[in-house]
Order: sequence, then C-alpha cells, then structure tokens
Amino acid sequence: MITSSIRWPMVGAEKTSKEITNELLAPNESKIPVWWYIGMTIGTILLAYGGWAFYMSFTVGLGTWGLTNSVAWGWDIINFVWWIGIGHAGTAFTIFFLVFRQHWAASINRTAEAMTVFAVMCAGLFPILHLGRPWLVFFIFPYPNTRLLWVNFNSPLLWDVFAISTYLLMSITLWYFGMIPDLATMRDRAKNKISKTLYGFFSMGWNGSMITYRRYETLTKILGGMAAPLVISVHTIVALDFAVSILPGWHTTILPPYFFVGAIFSGFAMVLTIMILMRNVFKITDFITEKHLDAIANVLKFGSLVIGLAYVIEMFIAWYSGMNYEMYTFLNARATGNFSLAFWTMVFCNALAPQVFWFKKARKNIIILFIVSIIINIGMWFERYIILISSLAEDFLPSSWTGYTPTLVDIGIFAGTFGIFISGMLLFIRYIPIIAINEVKANKKGGN
Amino acid sequence: MASKNIVAKFTDEEKLSKALTRLNDKKVNILDVYGPFATHDILKKVTRESRLPYMAILYGITAIILMFAFLYYTTVIDYPISYGGKPIFSFPPMVVLLFLITILLTTILSTLTFHGRSLIFPGKPADIMDESVTDDAFFLVLDQNYNPEEIKVWLQEDGADEVTEKEI
Repeated sequence: MITSSIRWPMVGAEKTSKEITNELLAPNESKIPVWWYIGMTIGTILLAYGGWAFYMSFTVGLGTWGLTNSVAWGWDIINFVWWIGIGHAGTAFTIFFLVFRQHWAASINRTAEAMTVFAVMCAGLFPILHLGRPWLVFFIFPYPNTRLLWVNFNSPLLWDVFAISTYLLMSITLWYFGMIPDLATMRDRAKNKISKTLYGFFSMGWNGSMITYRRYETLTKILGGMAAPLVISVHTIVALDFAVSILPGWHTTILPPYFFVGAIFSGFAMVLTIMILMRNVFKITDFITEKHLDAIANVLKFGSLVIGLAYVIEMFIAWYSGMNYEMYTFLNARATGNFSLAFWTMVFCNALAPQVFWFKKARKNIIILFIVSIIINIGMWFERYIILISSLAEDFLPSSWTGYTPTLVDIGIFAGTFGIFISGMLLFIRYIPIIAINEVKANKKGGN
Repeated sequence: MASKNIVAKFTDEEKLSKALTRLNDKKVNILDVYGPFATHDILKKVTRESRLPYMAILYGITAIILMFAFLYYTTVIDYPISYGGKPIFSFPPMVVLLFLITILLTTILSTLTFHGRSLIFPGKPADIMDESVTDDAFFLVLDQNYNPEEIKVWLQEDGADEVTEKEI
C-alpha cells in the first residue's frame, strides 16, 4: 500500500463535526435558489432539442446526420470520445483517494464521480445511436440466439461494449457506496416524510456500526483498486477502435497512452470548471480550498506537457516513417491544410494555454483557472475532431475526399447530452451532499 | 432475560480512541462502536481485518476461468470463423475481455457479499442509537464481562460525555 500523508489541513478553518454537517448540508436543506430553476430550464430546453434529434435519428435514420461514405464516423463518435474522456476524472479522483491515499481528494471525489456517471451515460448513447437501428442494440451482447451467431470477440468495438458497461456499473457503484453514510445523515435530519422515506430506503439501514464500516472501507478499496486498471483499459480500448484500423493518422501505437492522458486531462479540466462554480455558488471555500484548485491546476499543467509531447511525437513519427500517406495527414491535412484552423486551435488550447499554470499567480486567480479550464474542454473536443475527421475526409484515395458538415440533428444530439449532464448534475447538487461529509470529518485534522 | 450493555457517548474521537486503548489493554469485550465516520485508529481498535479481499480474489479467479471457457466455447467449438486467415483460437484478443469480465464479476459479487455479510440492503429500516450517530456522536457499546462500575469510572476518566446502561 502506498501511503502519503496529507499535505495540508483538509478543512480551511477549525470546525467541529456538527459544523461540518451543517455547512455541507446547507445546499440540500435550504430553499431551492432561482439559479437552480434557471439551470434546470436550460437543461430541459437542451433535452427537448436532443429529444427531437433522437426522434429524427430513430424515425428517418442516419441520413439526417452529416455522414458521408468517406466520413462514416462524424460528430457522434467525436462526442462519444469527448464525453468518455471527461468521465475519467471522477474515477481518477477516486483512485487518488482510495488507492494512493491522497486525502485532499475526499472533498472533490463525490462531485467528480457524479460527473463521471452522467458523462459516461451521455457517452454511451452515441455508439448506440450510431448503430442505425438502436432498437436492435441487444444484438451486440453475446447470448444464445435464433440467428445461431456469436458476436466478434476479436473486435475492439465489442470490447467497447464490455468496457463501457463495466465502467458505468463500476462508476455508479463507487459513487453510490461512497454516499451511503451521508444519505443516512440526511435521513436522520430529514424534516418531511417523503425525504425520510427516500433517504431511509437508499441509506440501507446504515447505523454507523464500525464493524460494517470496516467491511465498507475494505469493499471501497477493492472497488477503487479495480477501478484503477479499468479506467486505463477503457480509454485504451476506445483508442484501439482507431488504432487497429489502417487509416493514416489512426494506425499508430501512441494512440492508447495519448488517449488516456487526454481523457484525464479533459476530465480534470471539467472538474475544475464545476468545482469553481460550486465553490463560489455554495460558499464552501473552507472545504474546496485554493490549495485544491492549485493541485488540479498542477495536474493540468503536467497533462498539458504530456499531450503537447504526444502531438510533437506524432508529427515526428509521421515524418520519420517516410510514408507519404502518414506525412500527408499530419504535415499537410492537419498542420497546413484544410484542417489547420482546428489543428492549431487544438494545439493552443491543450498544449499552450495551460502553460500559464507555471505561474502561481495564475493558479490562484479563479477567473484565469475558470477560463483555462473551459479552453481545455474546447481544445479536447477539437483534438477528437482532428483525429476523426481529418483522417476520414482525406484518406488514401483523393477521389473519395470529401468535406464534413454536421447537421442540426448532429448538433441536437450533442446538445441533448448537455441537457442530460446539466439536469443530472443539478439534481445531484440539490438532493445529494456534494462533498463526502463522513470523509471530510474523518480527515479534518490532516488524514488518519 | 437479556443483560444490559454499557453504552458510552463520546463527541471527541480522540477521547474515544484513548478509552478504546484502555479497554483493549484491560481485555474488556467491545461489542461495537457506532459513529458518523471512521478513522483507521478506531477501526483497528474495535474490529478485525475484513476477509472480503480473499473472497474478491476467489471471485476474480472464478470469473477469469468462466470467461475463458465461454470464449473458447463460442469462438473455437460452437462457431469457429476465420477472420482473414487468422487462427481460430487466438489468446491475445481474449485478454481484454478476460480482464473486463474479471473486474465486472468481482465488483458485482464482492458488493453482494458485503450486503449479505453486513445485512444491509435498500429499504432496510434503520436501527440507530440516536440521531446524533450520523452527525457528531460516537456510541461505544460494551459487554458486561467485567466489573461494570470499574468500566464506568474508566470511561468517565477518558472523557465520555455520558455513560448509561441499555439493553441492545
């Protein structure tokens, strides 16, 4: 077991357990604020737009998307990879907390895990829709059937099915198990009968027994330990969807590690965005301190360096391979050709902008932190756009070259997933403690 | 008739830890401690190591064997297909699925084992010592295998907020 003592006090000011409970449950117990309704309205509008796009995809078919014979994977796969990447940060925080015993992660991992659950749900929708006939989605599971066929176990696309299902189940389990003691706290403080019944149902009769706590801690460590390799494998498999093909720009061994680092990088950026918002809206600056934000910014700085290095290595290998097609994709199509604007946006957002975090002043400035976190999220979307579209649109055969423009349906599905994410996160912050109260109490004096 | 247990309430986990050390030294049988959070120190003094990891390993091994048998049956025996002349039985692509299914089954079965062993499940009515047990108070529950009066004195010396006798 790797042990690492906490590097700073978990809670900004000296507080008793009672004060911690009161402060951390205030967002759940106070009157619903106006901004929550505004957020929910925005989420619902996006969901409605997404609903229409889903309807079109179901009833008319994939002809409503911007796909062509050459660009057969468009916005939906870009968005799938983007969302699943964002999801990885929640699990990363859980691993920091449970496996590497970084106690500071305790005040972030609940929200980060919630983000993971909703992001993976959003991600999972895209490949299902891309099947064309999503109502036959059960065909992808291996079960004895009247067609007397088994699925192709050698295909990374099938591995994706297993990886994402397992990952979703693992994320929900870790998230839910982490909150059981806090749901019990809410149960015991609930004023009305409906809340008491619901929190009572989901808190599973939790009574704070240390014997149960010991088993519970052991279970969460087992789950955390398994989540660590799982999170690496999930994005590796997503990368293999591309890397096992022969297209220039995809057929490269750097893709799995590069995708994994990119996933953690974009996920941390999203965590930073959400944490800054919650910290300021709920005035929980004693629990999500400047040092927490500083730690995330440092991870982003490191991730940015690795991503930047990956971009350079990709270019170098393309040139060093001497293959015309590889050289064309990287040096012409991406860097100087039709996709150069998207390419340089990606380089600026992911490799250059986060370098501002070398300066302590920037890491302490909430506005800079917020802006850079948004820039990274945009940059990571462009990274997936570049990888997918530039390789597909300009492949080996110039006569099949084509452009790619998303349709309103493509945009609608993406907007719809934002609707799911925003509404889900708002329901989460309203009805579930946003910070793991029991973990904060246990670590308030600097870890145990 | 069930005998009564000594129940001591603590609001400071450090005082509780001190009391637990003394009780362990005196070989007093600690039945359980109920509290809002757990520190490793308290857990070590009250409970023994969980055997759940052994079960998890067992589940993992079972899962890997079952999945290998399933993959071998489907790809080699039941429906062998040649993909571009590649061998019918190929282990490397199996590794990914073996790995994922091992994690999936171990997660599900370990979680179910936890529920079964701890007897907690959705909808179970909560049997709590007091509402403060999920807020800021620890309740130490002891057996009467030692002189109760002496134990009460120790607990009060170690900083218990309240010491009572209760039938648990």
